[in-house]
Amino acid sequence: MKYLNLSIKEINKLLKDKKIKPIDLVNEAIENIEKHKEYNAYITLNKEEAIKKAKELEDKEVDNLFFGIPIAIKDNIITKNLRTTCASHMLDNFIPPYNATVIEKIKEKNMIIIGKTNMDEFAMGSSSRTSYFGPPKNPWNKNKISGGTSGGSATTIASRDLPIALGSDTGGSIRQPSAYTGIVGLKPTYGRVSRYGLVAYASSFDQIGPMTRNVYENALLLETIVGHDEKDLTSSKRETEDFTRLIGKDIKNMKIAIPKFFVSDIVDKEIIEKINQTIEILKKNGAIVDYVDMKYIENTVTLYQIIAMGEASSNLARYDGIRYGFSYENPKDINDLYLKTRKEGFGEEVKQRIMVGSYILSGENAKIYYNKALSIRDDIKKEFSRIFENYDWIIGPTTTTTAYNLDDPMDDPSKAFMDDVLVIPANLAGLPGINIPIGFDKSNMPIGMHIIGNSFEEAKIYQLASLIEKELKLDLNPWKGEENE
Amino acid sequence: MDKLSREEILHVADLARIELTEEEIEKYRVHIKKLLDDIEKIKDVKGYDDEQLIAPWSENCILREDRVGNMLEPKEVIEHAPRHSGNYIQVPVVIGESEGA
Repeated sequence: MKYLNLSIKEINKLLKDKKIKPIDLVNEAIENIEKHKEYNAYITLNKEEAIKKAKELEDKEVDNLFFGIPIAIKDNIITKNLRTTCASHMLDNFIPPYNATVIEKIKEKNMIIIGKTNMDEFAMGSSSRTSYFGPPKNPWNKNKISGGTSGGSATTIASRDLPIALGSDTGGSIRQPSAYTGIVGLKPTYGRVSRYGLVAYASSFDQIGPMTRNVYENALLLETIVGHDEKDLTSSKRETEDFTRLIGKDIKNMKIAIPKFFVSDIVDKEIIEKINQTIEILKKNGAIVDYVDMKYIENTVTLYQIIAMGEASSNLARYDGIRYGFSYENPKDINDLYLKTRKEGFGEEVKQRIMVGSYILSGENAKIYYNKALSIRDDIKKEFSRIFENYDWIIGPTTTTTAYNLDDPMDDPSKAFMDDVLVIPANLAGLPGINIPIGFDKSNMPIGMHIIGNSFEEAKIYQLASLIEKELKLDLNPWKGEENE
Repeated sequence: MDKLSREEILHVADLARIELTEEEIEKYRVHIKKLLDDIEKIKDVKGYDDEQLIAPWSENCILREDRVGNMLEPKEVIEHAPRHSGNYIQVPVVIGESEGA
């Protein structure tokens, strides 16, 4: 019997009724991961500890829905005594002495960490191909990317290895790989989830979020990781809430805005067709759908490049070979230590972004680029607020294409940013957004819809996403008949 | 192809404290030029107001109470340093042997 393909609620009931034990779930997850090893979803497996933890749980009361459930964690979230590499040579031997706040929260619920998932190095990229450990492969077609930067978490969820994972999203890194692999991934409102222990890339954008097989379980998992944390100055004072409460409520006379830019000719025709079909379903359910203009929306990638690379150059200054991580062996002095540690420890994409960021923040450039970008960022946020005065949701496609080939050239440095052109705006304004699968292209690669909600309105996002999920009833298991599952 | 000069790349590498190989210098002359062209586009954006958004964050910023909380043992932390001795982190020569240091 395969248990991990059941819903979390069903698994929970079996655990409560003592028909299965947590170790059955752990063994099954490990078996799945080993079977799908060539998809390279994991950097580090936590096999022995997971088995140990499962056995410890046998004597404990099953006191919550996530008790004993295996979970995968993106490898830029700090886990005590479990290697955390950020997919970089710089940290390939780093075993943290503390836990991220989200890890403390999932441990309180007695979830079992199965392993640390593959990603773009320091979450910089869009296809997970900048990983020091090689890229994950898309379960729908192993010659395609899984997207990025949370490509490993997307791969293991899409593969049905286990039901839940955490990712992080700075400029689309949860939603875009979720679209490419046909899963549900949510970036919460900035401040919803503590960033303490999330290795910083661009601090004013970074958020941790849930990646799951369906909408309901996404909402449940979000509920367990939110809440104020005094260790993160930007974490909201709002406490947790029932994010499932609007699931199943009708959307009659509710209003949806589609920025014209989101359905312009930058998006593949096949994706536009699927979006249009989904819009028809929403209208049939009584929603009012309007196409709207948004100022500055076509400038968001430029703003993101300036601000994120600027923040990255500052955040990654800490990798100096002195306190932890990789260190060059025989430096002649301290400057030599910095130069050679960073030369050998960082990969190409990371070096590039640090260099551009350093340039942007140096001298007069800070005024010309960085300060101006912050001003326009404020206008973008106001544009979103203006739209949310009259609308409940903003929707569009999550990506402009479906997943492309792993061996496509990486000779255009702008491409990693352009892959996220439709998801970056939400990060600039700090708004929550979700990817919900809406179908497949002709080559059977998943297509996703992006739903943006107003600040702290994740519950409302789940309302719309679950309606789409229910109406479409897609089969999102990539193995179907191929494996006896 | 449009490229930055070798000197320009070495300048940004120096700002970032990263040593580059010859091969990297040649590659970045093209790639960083492309990214700098991208960010130049901001110069064409007009009509915005001057108010800045540093982080999309609207709640009042309250500093946490100044009290001693749980801390890591110094030993656990210091041991991560590639070069350490007792409770000290060792670093190479800082002053005197290199102009850049």
